[in-house]
Amino acid sequence: MAATQKPMRYGHTEGHTDVCFDDTGSCIVTCGSDGDVRIWENLDDDDPKSINVGEKAYSCALKNGRLITAVSNNTVQMHTFPEGAPDGILTRFTMNANHVIFNSDGTKIAAGSSDFMVKVVEVTDSSKQKTFRGHDAPVLSLTFDPRDVYLASASCDGSVRVWKIADQICTTSWPLLQKCNDVINAKSICRLGWQPGSGKLLAIPVDKVVKLYRRETWDSQFDLSDAFIMQPLNVVAWSPCGQYLAAGSVDGNIVVWNMETQECIERMKHEKNYSICGLAWHPKHRQIAYTDTEGNLGLLENVGDGKKPNDKVASTVTKDYNDLFDGEDDDYLNGDMIEPQSSPKAGANEDDGDDLMPTSGHLRRAIIDDDDNSLDIGMIKANSNLEKEDDDDDQTGGFPALPPSSTQQPFYDGPMPTPKQKPFQSGSTPAHLMHRFMVWNSVGIIRCYNDEQDNAIDIEFHDTSIHHATHLPNSLNHTMADLSTEAILLACESTEELASKLHCIHFSSWDANKEWTVDMPEDEDVEAICLGQGWAACATSALLVRVFTVGGVQKEIFSLPGPVVSMAGHGEQLMIIYHRGTGFDGDQCLGVQLMELGKTKKQILHGDPLSLTKKSYLIWVGFSAEGTPCYVDSEGIVRMLNRGLGNTWIPVCNMREHCKGKSDHYWVVGIHENPQQLRCIPCKGARFPPTLPRPAVAILSFKLPYCQVTTEKGQMEEQYWRSVVFHNHVDYLSKNGYELDENAKNQSVKEQQELLMKLFALSCKLEREFRCMELADLMTQNVVNLAIKYASRSRRLNLAQRLSEMAVEKASELATAPEDEEEEEDFRKHLNAGYSNSATEWSQLPVRNVQQDQEMEDAEETDAYEEVEEAPEVHKQSKKNVLSEEAGSYLNVSSNKKDPVVPSANVLDTMNKYSKKTSLSSSRAVNKQNPPVIKPLIPKPKTKQALAISFFQARTLNSSEKTVEEKEEKAGNESHEVKVTVQESTENRRPKTGFQMWLEENRANILTDNPDLNEAEVIKEGMSRFRMLSSEERMVWTEKAKGGTVNDLTEDKKRKRPTADEDEAKKNQEQKPEDSNLSKKPKPLDQSTNVRLAAFAFKQS
Amino acid sequence: ISRQVLWCPSPHCYLGPFNPGLPVEVPVWLAINLKQRQKCRLIPPEWMDVEKLEEIRDQERKEDTFTPMPSPYYMELTKLLLNYASDNIPKADEIRTLVKETWDTRLAKLRLSADSFVRQQEAHAKLDNLTLMEINTTGTFLTQALDHMYKLRTNLQPSESAHSQDF
Repeated sequence: MAATQKPMRYGHTEGHTDVCFDDTGSCIVTCGSDGDVRIWENLDDDDPKSINVGEKAYSCALKNGRLITAVSNNTVQMHTFPEGAPDGILTRFTMNANHVIFNSDGTKIAAGSSDFMVKVVEVTDSSKQKTFRGHDAPVLSLTFDPRDVYLASASCDGSVRVWKIADQICTTSWPLLQKCNDVINAKSICRLGWQPGSGKLLAIPVDKVVKLYRRETWDSQFDLSDAFIMQPLNVVAWSPCGQYLAAGSVDGNIVVWNMETQECIERMKHEKNYSICGLAWHPKHRQIAYTDTEGNLGLLENVGDGKKPNDKVASTVTKDYNDLFDGEDDDYLNGDMIEPQSSPKAGANEDDGDDLMPTSGHLRRAIIDDDDNSLDIGMIKANSNLEKEDDDDDQTGGFPALPPSSTQQPFYDGPMPTPKQKPFQSGSTPAHLMHRFMVWNSVGIIRCYNDEQDNAIDIEFHDTSIHHATHLPNSLNHTMADLSTEAILLACESTEELASKLHCIHFSSWDANKEWTVDMPEDEDVEAICLGQGWAACATSALLVRVFTVGGVQKEIFSLPGPVVSMAGHGEQLMIIYHRGTGFDGDQCLGVQLMELGKTKKQILHGDPLSLTKKSYLIWVGFSAEGTPCYVDSEGIVRMLNRGLGNTWIPVCNMREHCKGKSDHYWVVGIHENPQQLRCIPCKGARFPPTLPRPAVAILSFKLPYCQVTTEKGQMEEQYWRSVVFHNHVDYLSKNGYELDENAKNQSVKEQQELLMKLFALSCKLEREFRCMELADLMTQNVVNLAIKYASRSRRLNLAQRLSEMAVEKASELATAPEDEEEEEDFRKHLNAGYSNSATEWSQLPVRNVQQDQEMEDAEETDAYEEVEEAPEVHKQSKKNVLSEEAGSYLNVSSNKKDPVVPSANVLDTMNKYSKKTSLSSSRAVNKQNPPVIKPLIPKPKTKQALAISFFQARTLNSSEKTVEEKEEKAGNESHEVKVTVQESTENRRPKTGFQMWLEENRANILTDNPDLNEAEVIKEGMSRFRMLSSEERMVWTEKAKGGTVNDLTEDKKRKRPTADEDEAKKNQEQKPEDSNLSKKPKPLDQSTNVRLAAFAFKQS
Repeated sequence: ISRQVLWCPSPHCYLGPFNPGLPVEVPVWLAINLKQRQKCRLIPPEWMDVEKLEEIRDQERKEDTFTPMPSPYYMELTKLLLNYASDNIPKADEIRTLVKETWDTRLAKLRLSADSFVRQQEAHAKLDNLTLMEINTTGTFLTQALDHMYKLRTNLQPSESAHSQDF
C-alpha cells in the first residue's frame, strides 16, 4: 500500500525539533525549542506527556528507559523514561550540543557540540568520557557504527569524519559539505546514518543526494538521488531492518529508497513545505515519524510497498528488540525483501488498471520498477546473502550492475487525494484548545473551559430575556454544542466505558424536567449536532442522521451517503453537509442535503455537490436569520442559496477582501439578509478568536462578484441583483405561511425598480437603446410606463415606441395568464413543490396579474383621456401641416389605436411637447377645454391604494367604482370617436360604447341647451349628463352598444384570433387612406387582442 | 439585555439601532452610563492598547516637540474608561501607567518650553499638538504670569530710561 500521510499537528513552538520512537514503538518522543520533551501515544494524542528539560532542547535520544537530551545550558542530560525524572548530567560542553545519539546497545552516548568537540560517554558512568577533537567548526550530526567501532560526525567546517572510538583518532575525512560558521547558517544539518545491523554502509546527505560510503574501505559506494528532491537533504534515517533509507529535505520532501534495488519507493511532500529536521522509523511498523523546523509533528504510515511485515516482526521481536537486532535481522531482511515483490496484493492492484486507481500511484510505480528489474531479483538475493556473511568484495560488483537510471524514471505525479476534513460544529473553535467556543451563533455563546481546575461549560445569551446565563459542569466531556431559543444541545464522543451521548437542556419547557439524555448505540459516535425549531438532530459515525423532538422523542432516522462534515438547523429546515467522495489536490468533495422537517417532510437539495473555492475546505455552515442556507469556505467566500435561480449557490461576500493582513481572517457568527449584514469576528493572524479578551463582533457588507463594479453600471447591476438575491427569502417565507410585512416587500421591489430605472437612464445616456429594452424587460408595468416617459422626453422616439410595444406584450401575457392559472394551481398541488423556485413564480403570478390588470385599467383610463386631450391638437396640427416626420409616425400610432391602449400615453406626452412648441396656445386651450382629462386621473391613486392594502382584494372592488371606471373608459372611447369624426375618417363603422350611442342621440339636446359649445365641450357636457343617469339606464346603453362585439368576446377563446384579424383588417382598411405605412405594422394585432382581452377580463369581474 | 457599546468622542451622534451582541457607537457619557447600569460592555478605542501606547510614549520621549496624540481627549477618555470599565479593557493598569507617563513627559516639555520662552523673552511661541486639557493645566497661570512680567518689565524700562536720562 502507498504510504498514508496523516495531517501534521502542532508539536512544539516554532523552531528546531527532533523526534524518536521508544524501544517498543508504543510512543513517539519529540523535543523542541520550547525546551519540552513530549511523549505522544499516537499522532492524535491531544494530551501528550511533557517533560521540561531546559530552555531549549536541541536533540533527544531514547533507549532502555533512558532519555538523553541536548539542552541549551550546554549539557547533555539524562531523564528516566517514561517517568521523566532527572537522572543526572552526562556531560558538559562550552557550547550547546547539537546532536546526541545512543549506540546500538544503549551503553554509550555520543554528543557533538558547537564548541567543535565530540564526546562519547558511558551511560552508566559519566566519568568515562572520550573526546574527539579535530573539527574546525560546530559539529552538526553524529552516528554510531552499529558495531561500536567507529563514530561518524558531520561538521560546519564542511567535513564528515569517521573516528575510531577506541583510539579517539580520525580514520577518514571527506570534504563533502559546504562550509559555514554556525549551525543556524548551515544549509543542511546533515543528519547522517549508519546502516543498522552490519553497519556496512554509511549514508550521508550531501546536497540533493545521499552518498553511501562503504565501511573499512571508506570509498563512495553509490549515490541515491531522485528527481523529486529539489532542495538539499537535511536528514537521513535507516529503517531498523537496514533495508530502507528515508531522507528528508529542507523543502519538506521525504523520500524512501529500497536499498536493495536503490529504487525510490515513497515520495511524500510536507503539507506546508517546512524543512524536515527530524526523522525516525518505527522499530516494528512501517511508520516514519517526522518533525519540521516549525515544531510540527507528522507521521507516515505503511511506508514501502507490499505486505506489511508487522505481524511477523511483532512475533519475533520482543521488547528488547534492539538486542535481538544483530542476530535475527538477516532472516527478517530476507523475508521482508522478497515478500513485497511476490505480494499478491500488488499484482491485484496492477490489474485494476491505471484509470481506476490513481491513488495507488506509488504502489504502481514500485511494481513497474519491480517488473523492470525483475532480472535483478536473483542478484539481490545474492546481495543479501553476501550481506549476511558480511563479506564485501562481491557486493561492489552487485550494486553498479543495477540500472543507474532507475531513480530518474517517471513517477506518479497526478492528482493526489486530499485528506477528508473532519466533522465540525459551525461557530466553534478547535476542540483541543483549553478555552474554546463551542458555539457562537445569533442566539448566544457557549464556551468551554477545560483546564486543571475546571471542566465546565458557560452558556451566555445575547438576549438575556430568552434565558439567563448558565454554568454547567462538563463531567461528560462534551465537545459539541448547539444553541437555539428553545434549548441547548450538547454531545460527547464515546469513551472506553461510556457510550456517546446526546444531552439536551430544553430550557423553554414548561414542565419541571428540562433535561434529557440519549445514549448512542455501541460503536456509534455523534459527529455533528444541530437544533431547529422543535427538533434536534445528530449525525453519527454510523452514517446515520437521527432526529429527535426537542422534548426527547425519537423521530426520523435516515442514512447519509457519506461521513458528515457539519449540519445546521433553522426553523423546519435541516441542512447536512457530508463527504460525497474523495477530493483531489487539496479540494474537498462535499455534498449537501437540505430537507424540511415540518408537516410535509421533503428534501429540497438531494445531496447536490457543494461548490467550494479551489483547495479550500468548509469552515462555517448555517442559515441566515431569515432562513436561507449559507456556508463559508476557508478562502473566506460566503455563499448563499439562491432560491430564485433553481437553488443554486451564489457567492455573496469575499471576506478576504476585507482583511488587512494575509494571515488575518474573519470568523463568522451570523448572517442577516435584512438588513444585509455579515456578522463576524476579525481575527488577527488566526482563523478563530480566543475566548479572552472577549472578541468584538464586526459587520461586513455583502458584495456579489459582478464585473466592473467600479463603474456606475456595474455597481448598479450588482446592487440590483444583490437586492433580488437578498429578497428571495420573502417569497420563500410567505409560501411557508409566515406573515410578512408587505411594506418591506414593496420597499424592496421599489428599490429594485429604482435601480433598474437608473440603469435605464444610464443606458439611455450612453445611447444603448437595445440595452434599454433589455432592462425594461425586467421592470414592472408601471415602471415601464415611466421608462417610456423618460425615453420620449429624452427624444428617443424609436425606443419609446418599442417600449410601448413591449408594454402591450407584457400586458397581454399577464392578461392570458389568469386563464392558465387554475391549471397551474392543480399542477402545483401535484408537484407538491411548494418551495421550488418555479413555484415561487407561480405564487407570484396571480398577484402580479391582478396588480397589472389594475395598472392596465389605469393606463387605459389615462390613455383615453390623453387622447381626448390630444384629439383637437392633432387635428389642428394636421391642418397646419407643421408636424415633423417623426411626429407624424406617432400620429399614426395614436390614430392606429381605435381602442385606448396603454403604450401611447407617453408617446402622446411627447406629442404634447411638440405641439407645445408648435402651438403653445392651442395646447393650453385644449387643457382648459378638457377638464375631464384631469378628473378621471383621480381614480388612479385610489386603485393604487387598494393595491397596496391587498392585492387580492383588488379584484373585488365594489361595483360602483367599477362602473365609474367603465363609464370613464367608454367616455374615452367616445371621445376618441369624436376625434375620428373630426378627422373625417371612416371610424364610424366601429362598434360604439354605450356613452357614444347615448351621446349621439342626445347631442342635439345638448346643443340646443348650450348652442355655443364646441365639440370638446359637448363631450364634456355629455359626460356629465351621462353620469347623472341611473346605473340601470347606463347599463341599457352599454348593452346596446356592446351588441355583437361583446358577444364575440364572450365566446370561446379560440375565436380570439379571427376576431382580432378581422379587426386588424378593418383597421387597415380604415388607415389606408390616411397612411399607407400603417399596413406594415404587425403590432396592432397584438394590441387590439390585448385590449379586447383586457376588456373582457375586466367586464367578467 | 447585554449590549456592546463603542465609545464615541463626539457628543452628537445618531444612536442605535441597538442589537444584542453587536457593537454600536454612542457618546462616551451614554456608554459610561450604560456600563454603570451593567447594560453593556465597552470596547476600548483602538489606540488604547499597550503596544500602541508604548510606541506613542517612546516617540514622545524621543522628540523635542509635542507629538500628535491618538485622540484630542486621550487623557479624559483614559480616565473615564479606566475608572468605569477597567474590566472591559485588557491590561488596564499598564495602560494607565503608559498614559500617565506620556502625560508627564508632555507636561515636562510644556514647562520647559514655557521656561525657555520666558527666558528668551520671545514675543510668541508655537505649540502644536497640545490637547485642550494640557493647555488648561498651564494656560491661565502662564498668561497671568506673562502679564505680570510684562508689567514688571514695563515698570523697569522707564526707570532704566530715567537713569539714562539722568546721566
